Amino acid sequence: MRELAGKLLRLDRRVIFVLIALATLIPLLRPIGLPVRISPEVRQVYDYIESLPAGSVFLLSLDFDPASKPELYPMAVALLNHAFKRDLRVIGMTLLVTGTGMAEKVVSGVASEHGKQRGRDYAFLGYSPGGANVIISMGQELATAFPTDHYGERTADLPVLQGVNSLRQVNYVISLAAGTPGVESWYVYGKEKYGFELGGGVTAVIAPGLYPFLDTGQINGLIGGLRGAAEYETLIGMKGKAVAGMDAQSATHFIIIGLILICNLFYFLTRHTTIRSFGSPQDRPGSPREAGR
Amino acid sequence: MTPSVLIGAWVAAGLTLFMFSFLYKDNPFFRFGEHLYVGISMGYTIVRIYYDVMVKSLYTPVAQEGKWWFLIAALLGLLILTRFIPKISWLSRISFAVIVGFGSGVAIPRIISSNILQQVQGTLKPLLGNAGQPLLGMAQFNALLILVGVITVLVYFFFSIEHKGPIKVAARIGIYFLMINFGAGFGYTVMARMSLLIGRFDDLILFASRDFGYASLVLLGLIAFGLFLWERRSSALSDPDQDRRAAGSDPHADG
Repeated sequence: MRELAGKLLRLDRRVIFVLIALATLIPLLRPIGLPVRISPEVRQVYDYIESLPAGSVFLLSLDFDPASKPELYPMAVALLNHAFKRDLRVIGMTLLVTGTGMAEKVVSGVASEHGKQRGRDYAFLGYSPGGANVIISMGQELATAFPTDHYGERTADLPVLQGVNSLRQVNYVISLAAGTPGVESWYVYGKEKYGFELGGGVTAVIAPGLYPFLDTGQINGLIGGLRGAAEYETLIGMKGKAVAGMDAQSATHFIIIGLILICNLFYFLTRHTTIRSFGSPQDRPGSPREAGR
Repeated sequence: MTPSVLIGAWVAAGLTLFMFSFLYKDNPFFRFGEHLYVGISMGYTIVRIYYDVMVKSLYTPVAQEGKWWFLIAALLGLLILTRFIPKISWLSRISFAVIVGFGSGVAIPRIISSNILQQVQGTLKPLLGNAGQPLLGMAQFNALLILVGVITVLVYFFFSIEHKGPIKVAARIGIYFLMINFGAGFGYTVMARMSLLIGRFDDLILFASRDFGYASLVLLGLIAFGLFLWERRSSALSDPDQDRRAAGSDPHADG
């Protein structure tokens, strides 16, 4: 048993890569259709958008770049579909320069699917330098932070922005973020001072750090990772890429949980003995040298 | 399908497979993809900054709207570049002083308010209960759990007194809370990484279809063949050295 444990603990890591690849690929090719349970924090975002009357101002800040696209792009698509379906006035923007092209593509793409006209039904402001300072500037005067939109039109002349002089006139802001500047920046420099309601959509890596803001009511809802995006797609009845990825997500988690359990079991079975395949006590499973392999 | 979409699909599928080839081992395909990514993202950033910052936020306001005071900010920006000229590098301190002063002035009060005061308030408020809510509900239990977690973790990081007796017990409980936090963080990180993998696989499956000329499958075959040739060449190059060492004629060998 210990011999087997030693062999498995020194298993070529590429075997694990193949296992994960298969666990991802098979459900994507042959979906199982596992149910998606809606969490309260995602429902709160949905309910708030549902509660907004037509013509309310909804600002979506796409604070991410292509590196976080698989998680946040489906969220953006779902939220924009919901907002356009509700006939909200949509303002798109980004605080990350490398995300500008992608943000423009998703905003204009979903808008055209709903037959919305740029400038009249929605605006894409693009990128403005300064990170969190842009939020402060928008809180004072929108046209100062963005004198023109992404396409060079004067923001003051856009019909969709009539009556929107600053963040004080925005009804709901959602930041889709993969780090800083992101949801926390929008709260610290925006909501606290200018009083709009704020929700967040984030990558799974930073989601745990935002739950304290959710518990205190500093943000009114949180969409976390691909799972959150899948929940939102289910809520609006538009099953897209996130729902499609959920089976694969579950399968890979199953494999990883299994590997963690097996490794821990074998670690405890072998920790008091030197396995033949390990040269010295420093090479035992769990030792720093072994961990570095 | 337009040719640009087709070319884009082949490039995207190829570069994704180049990056995945690292899972086998470090190889020229991966290094090519890596360098291309760094170069392209830097080039894209420079172009966007030129239009969004230099043109939109500096040239247009100054040249067309007469907002000459924007030049002060531009000057402060230029002063940072004096770091590259040792004789006048001290000038950059003026800009850094403005950045640090402004940044601290803006950030400190807001951070204290939102990340400390409101968090403390949010931690304690549910315990005080609201009118109409049961005194011992699930919300109160959760609030109590959070409070115990906050206090015990703070005790764990309080090093001014020796951790023994009740302090040791509290610190130990704090460690358990930290471990649960790390576990949750790790779980979410795994989920995030798997999501990225799913995103790429999703595209690869799409590009493997007939519409895209079976791009993923063709490129996978080509890359696998390329890796095979590269391995053969690498082993052929390393073989003479091994032969010399085996025969004891290696000039670097001991003796």
